[in-house]
Amino acid sequence: MTRRLIRRLLLGLATVGGVYVATFLIVMVVPGDPFSSGDRRMPAEVARALRARYDLDRPWAYAGQFLWGAMRLDFGPSFLYKDWTCTQIISGALPVSVTLGLAAILIAVLVGVPAGAVSAVHRNGWFDLSCLVCVLIGLSVPTFVTGSALLTLCAVYLKIAPIGGWGQLAHLPLPALTLSLPFMASIARLTRVGMLDVLGSAYVRTAVAKGLSRRQVVWRHAFRNTGLVVLNYLGPATAAAMTGSFVVEKVFNVPGLGQHFVDAALNLDRGLILATVLVYASILVALNTLVDLVCVWADPRLVESLN
Amino acid sequence: MRFAFFLVLVLVGSVAVLVMGRSGSDRADFTYVNPSDLNTLDPASMTWNHDFRIAWNIWEGLTTHHPETTLPVEGAAFFPTVSADRCTYTFTLRADARWSNGDAVTAADFVRGWRRALEPGTAGDYACLFTDHLAGAAEYYAWRNDGVRRLTSLPRGSAAWRTVFAEQASQRGERFAEVGVGAVSSRELVVRLKRPCPYFLDLCAFPAFLPIHASIEPLRVDFEGSGLSAEGLVLYDPQWTKPDYHARGYPGLVTNGPYRVTDWQFKRRLRLGVNPHFRDAPALACRTIDMLVYRDIHAGILAYEAGEVDFLPDTSVPYDHELVRLSRTGLRPDFHCPVVFGTYFFVFNCADELFEDRPNPFVDARVRRAFALSVDKRLLAERVLGRGDPPTDTIVPPHSVVGYTSPMGLGYDPDQARWLLAEAGFPDGRGLPVIDLLFNTGFHQQEKVCDALATMWSRELGASVSTRGKDVKSFAEDRKRRRFMIARGGWYGDYADPTTFLDWFASGNGNNDAGYADPRYDALLEEAVGETDADRRLAILSLAEQRLIRETLPVLPLYGYTQLLAIKPHVRGLYPNHRLIFPFSALAVAR
Repeated sequence: MTRRLIRRLLLGLATVGGVYVATFLIVMVVPGDPFSSGDRRMPAEVARALRARYDLDRPWAYAGQFLWGAMRLDFGPSFLYKDWTCTQIISGALPVSVTLGLAAILIAVLVGVPAGAVSAVHRNGWFDLSCLVCVLIGLSVPTFVTGSALLTLCAVYLKIAPIGGWGQLAHLPLPALTLSLPFMASIARLTRVGMLDVLGSAYVRTAVAKGLSRRQVVWRHAFRNTGLVVLNYLGPATAAAMTGSFVVEKVFNVPGLGQHFVDAALNLDRGLILATVLVYASILVALNTLVDLVCVWADPRLVESLN
Repeated sequence: MRFAFFLVLVLVGSVAVLVMGRSGSDRADFTYVNPSDLNTLDPASMTWNHDFRIAWNIWEGLTTHHPETTLPVEGAAFFPTVSADRCTYTFTLRADARWSNGDAVTAADFVRGWRRALEPGTAGDYACLFTDHLAGAAEYYAWRNDGVRRLTSLPRGSAAWRTVFAEQASQRGERFAEVGVGAVSSRELVVRLKRPCPYFLDLCAFPAFLPIHASIEPLRVDFEGSGLSAEGLVLYDPQWTKPDYHARGYPGLVTNGPYRVTDWQFKRRLRLGVNPHFRDAPALACRTIDMLVYRDIHAGILAYEAGEVDFLPDTSVPYDHELVRLSRTGLRPDFHCPVVFGTYFFVFNCADELFEDRPNPFVDARVRRAFALSVDKRLLAERVLGRGDPPTDTIVPPHSVVGYTSPMGLGYDPDQARWLLAEAGFPDGRGLPVIDLLFNTGFHQQEKVCDALATMWSRELGASVSTRGKDVKSFAEDRKRRRFMIARGGWYGDYADPTTFLDWFASGNGNNDAGYADPRYDALLEEAVGETDADRRLAILSLAEQRLIRETLPVLPLYGYTQLLAIKPHVRGLYPNHRLIFPFSALAVAR
């Protein structure tokens, strides 16, 4: 088990390293000058001196230095926002994205799992069909549409929520709900399919034959095994919710990491691009590994999957 | 059970992380919205209007702006005495001018600020304001930049490098003494100009001309005690602009304006509080001011409508023409759309050959004039943009500079355009290559304008036009390398003088991407420089502009910029003006 775990962690590190190298290569070949801003120009000699100072003309030296700094959580300066370091920017934004992502997944699980389970138990009933419609909406309508609609309804007309921003508990529900919708839909479908699968299995039939009540069969025997399916999905989903909240952040004016990632890419802010990619890649790898471990903990038969 | 445990873990984690966030619930007396955070709070290197807006309120230059007319008024100094040749200005600082830590503002603080704006490393895009006007500044700037060039081209640590570095380090003080700014005493500042500058008092309020407190000196990058970085640059720890930065005994940002920065959370909020040592501090009606960052301006408008925000300095949204209509019909008197000191234009590539050695049809001024004459700017402004941007044939916004008469432009004359094109060897557009029209994406108007231009040129001249939208960085790169035939341009004037626009097209100017070089135009600009009579000088500049927009046409001016602002009716003392200067010291909010 320990050897498997270590191997898994090393694989995760290699994945992050691969992502870093690929991003670095892309950043290096993209045209444009990180020191130019708008219409006015810096003298060529000063630009050259600054490039020399930040090792931008020696890409591999820069890559090495950046990685060394990153290991000490020092991502260097931002070229676009001169008054801030990348570490300051990320340390301010990461907790916001993590909070938003976790809250979204929490809502998605709390609503999606019961909805999927009830749908499966009352298959083809009115609740199941209503859920199907909601799932289709959740999966197909983009978050900037649902976000804008929720914002207009709750903040402008009903005045029960603030118009965007961050810092108070009241700022969390609307963006978290918006972000949760696609995940909620997926979780509901997964739970429903998983439940149907389990409800048709031999041990459930045996449980029914033994005279257990319907409630006991559904909630004690069938539902618990369905949870594993959802748990498997939660790793990538949580990572996606934490790293893919750019649109929701923009609509609700949430100061998360997504906006910095997009701005950095648009402005060729090399340090910030590399830093955000490293953080995102680490989150993805860490969460996937964590969920795999939790799954093994929940179902020891899965220990082989760590390979 | 285990699953429930996992859920609880997630719940607890969420709340814990949320609690870690900083609270920002208390509302300021006055709140406005910015679509992005400040690029920098360093006055020497700032270039964006939203950065200037904060700088003008937390620092005070020798002069400052009148809130309504934007004309220069006395700031940290009284109006200067000016020598007979109008080249020497002697400023006396107010005895009660104070920094936010209580220190007196001294002439040396201004010298420090101005010098930072000239030194490679801290100098920004506006170093030219010093090199163009201050005696000896261009020479010093050239010497320093040359030193940096030599240092970066030599192997660090070599004997030759050491010689150059020692020369730069040891001669800097001596050389700077020849630049025309000096502190005669703690309250007396003497400025020597290379030639009379009628708008110099206006320049003195510009952010690059602001004073800097001595407390930043310990934060300077210092290679071997030289006061320079190893590259020969003057660099400071960029954190010096933070109010809560205290490395190496730094007290945090010290400023001398009516307000000081009390809190700055990146891309969230910047809060200003009254500078308690400012001379008019008790009289300031707004004690706290918040700049909130709303990346999505639609959300900003919603916040404004909900009363969470008092002022929107920029409401550039796809439906802004509708907001302008509401404003003009009086249905929304809180929305204002002033014509501002800026012009939207396109530049023609005037180089002999295009990229990849292709022949350039626009090297012929007749082709440029033909393309300019075939654009119906009124139609463009009314039908395509529809928000009241005034169509223009001039590069200097008409009536924007007192005493300046704008020349007549070319106007709209497709018949003459076709005749000129035929004359140049392209009858009905035959023989013209596909015209490459370059613009930057990210602004909803650009694409509409480019499509309209392509249609007009195709219809009137038979030209085939291909529009090419690129993100702003790639666009800037393509324009710098002249990889275009026609490219979008635009300029906001920095000071109240036509040269802020006309200098763009001087031969060798760093912004002259058109590759335009006209000895007669350069001569007219030079003649204006030497002219001491203000009226005659403006008349010469008008002739230069006429040369630009009627005869040689490296530029196609389309319309004057407007800016849609929203100011809540309960806000007093905020005046929509053509330079978008908003001193908050005049504000009063009566909710």
